[in-house]
Amino acid sequence: MDAVTSLLAGFETALTPLNLLWALIGVTLGTLVGVLPGIGPALTVALLLPVTAQLPPVSAFIMFAGIYYGGMFGGSTTSILLNTPGESSSIITALEGNKMARKGRAAAALATAAIGSFVAGTIGTILLTFAAPAIANVAVMIPPSAKFALIMLAFVTISATFGASPLRGLISLFFGLTIGLVGTDLQSGQARFTLGRPELLDGIEFVTVVIGLFAVGETLFVASRLRKDKASVIKLDGNASMTREDWRRSWKPWLRGTALGFPFGAIPAGGAEIPTFLSYTLERRLSKHPEEFGKGAIEGVAGPEAANNASAAGVLVPLLTLGLPTSATAAILLAAFQQYGLQPGPLLFVTNGDLVWGLIASLYIGNVMLLALNLPLAPVWARLLLIPRPFLYAGILVFSTVGVYSLNNSVFDLILLAIFGVIGYGMRRFDFPVTPAIIGVILGPVAESQFRTALQQSNGNPAIFLQSPLTVFILLTVLAALIVPAVLKARAARRV
Amino acid sequence: MSDSTVPPIPPAPAAPSARPGLSVPDLLVALGVVLLGALLLAGTLRIPFGINAVVGPRVFPLIVSVGTLVLGVLLTVNVLRGGRAEPAAEEDTDPDAQPDLRQPGIILGGFLLGAALLQPLGFVLGTAIMYFSVGFAFGERRLPLLGGVALAVALVTYVVFTRGLGLTLPPGVLNGVL
Repeated sequence: MDAVTSLLAGFETALTPLNLLWALIGVTLGTLVGVLPGIGPALTVALLLPVTAQLPPVSAFIMFAGIYYGGMFGGSTTSILLNTPGESSSIITALEGNKMARKGRAAAALATAAIGSFVAGTIGTILLTFAAPAIANVAVMIPPSAKFALIMLAFVTISATFGASPLRGLISLFFGLTIGLVGTDLQSGQARFTLGRPELLDGIEFVTVVIGLFAVGETLFVASRLRKDKASVIKLDGNASMTREDWRRSWKPWLRGTALGFPFGAIPAGGAEIPTFLSYTLERRLSKHPEEFGKGAIEGVAGPEAANNASAAGVLVPLLTLGLPTSATAAILLAAFQQYGLQPGPLLFVTNGDLVWGLIASLYIGNVMLLALNLPLAPVWARLLLIPRPFLYAGILVFSTVGVYSLNNSVFDLILLAIFGVIGYGMRRFDFPVTPAIIGVILGPVAESQFRTALQQSNGNPAIFLQSPLTVFILLTVLAALIVPAVLKARAARRV
Repeated sequence: MSDSTVPPIPPAPAAPSARPGLSVPDLLVALGVVLLGALLLAGTLRIPFGINAVVGPRVFPLIVSVGTLVLGVLLTVNVLRGGRAEPAAEEDTDPDAQPDLRQPGIILGGFLLGAALLQPLGFVLGTAIMYFSVGFAFGERRLPLLGGVALAVALVTYVVFTRGLGLTLPPGVLNGVL
């Protein structure tokens, strides 16, 4: 089979000593930032972009892939040992896993999360290996109008359909689109929204936006309402390990979680939150020990953690085959491709096959490394949670400053960073999700370019968006994704 | 830039009153979104029509600005009907804590001071000021320790990024020493 041959070639790329080293650095960094509060994989990749500009793209992406998967592994450690989830997709793990840890079963909770993540990550990567080239083959034939429609679909599902408040999600998205507009319009050479500042002619670096909204915004927000009592970190003695009984109760939830997570990651459905909730509900219904749920049931950790990791693999399918990011980290990976002058999409498999397959092969390797890194070293990672918060957040701010300053060696960028930090604070305070804004900044210019290409093909006749059946179908889906949740909510409200 | 007006820092913590009525900070945010949309629209109309272009540089900004305006109006209506936002819950926050805006103020002040001094005094001292202000705002009161760690972190960062990764960072007063 084609995919197998390409994958073997990919392993040849990924198994060179230097690339193995980058993979190891990536998974270690990923686990580190996944464990630490206040910094996540999206932010880390953004911070590293200016620094890695010198690296060959393959090595850089192998490291980024390690950070991406590693962040998922590390996040579960935090939610199990510290009862406060960092991401919405870890809420469930925090719910059951922390209860388990409180009952003295932290080692088993960490083990089922890590092994489940490994199983799901590996199966997800296998599915990616075979699904991605098949989809890429079809995707080559998609016209610009349908590409534009697909981006609209991603916009709507990420910001509105699956969010808590569609209105706030859409406002966040439009804020991101606005930022994406600033700068010189490449097709006409016109300056747009530069306010007369020459620094803005090249547009606002998305790294500044991402670091401002995530790192600085989070630092300001946490400082304003800091937890005064010491966060209660549960002590972990010994390695993460499970008994035979734990294995017996975990393996089915792992597989079911994977089956739920991967497809949800692959369609633009707003990431891992939905499949983890679905997996939790499913496991509670199927469990022989329903009374344990809410008090620390191992199935309630195994299933959602697997779903979380499988969806992370699924997210790479639309990213690599269509250039369509469906999570904040994926959006930053897209930007990383653009920095290297690469456009993810169906042609990437043809033009940069070695890069794509090296990346996919490194996902298998990274998964193995993560398992080895997380089971025996769990107590080491757990100790990271004890870093005093003043020193941790101060360090994050200093690294943010280096990352942004080194883009252009300009203090103006640091002022922008402060402004986006204040906006990031406001978004947390007023419940605006940050991810839609990030997607808007990065995907907005792509959307505009597809929109204009489509209209140029039809000499400006907007009917082009109604001529291809595929485009019409996607646009109708967009409409449904916007309207159906609102209708359902209204009906539910009337019934109550 | 006009974006900084939205969303503004609330002048007061969210509605200390028990009345579940209109929330003034939420209303200000909603009006801020409307204002942003209006400013964008005004800015869009000042973009010249492209020459020889089927779709000029104005079309997409027009969609974005009208969209922002409409969403802002919808949010305003929502707030006037009593809608209000719940602050996010993060790993290190206490949802029941009384928000204290002095701490983010200290961080922001320290950051801007550090940024302003970054070139004259150099990267090490500039980022040390930033580090110190964040540590202080997060409640660290062993000031000599904090100052020492701030300088050490700034120095190590400087050396790693300039020597190890080949970035150029301003040496400032330490020029020649480092």
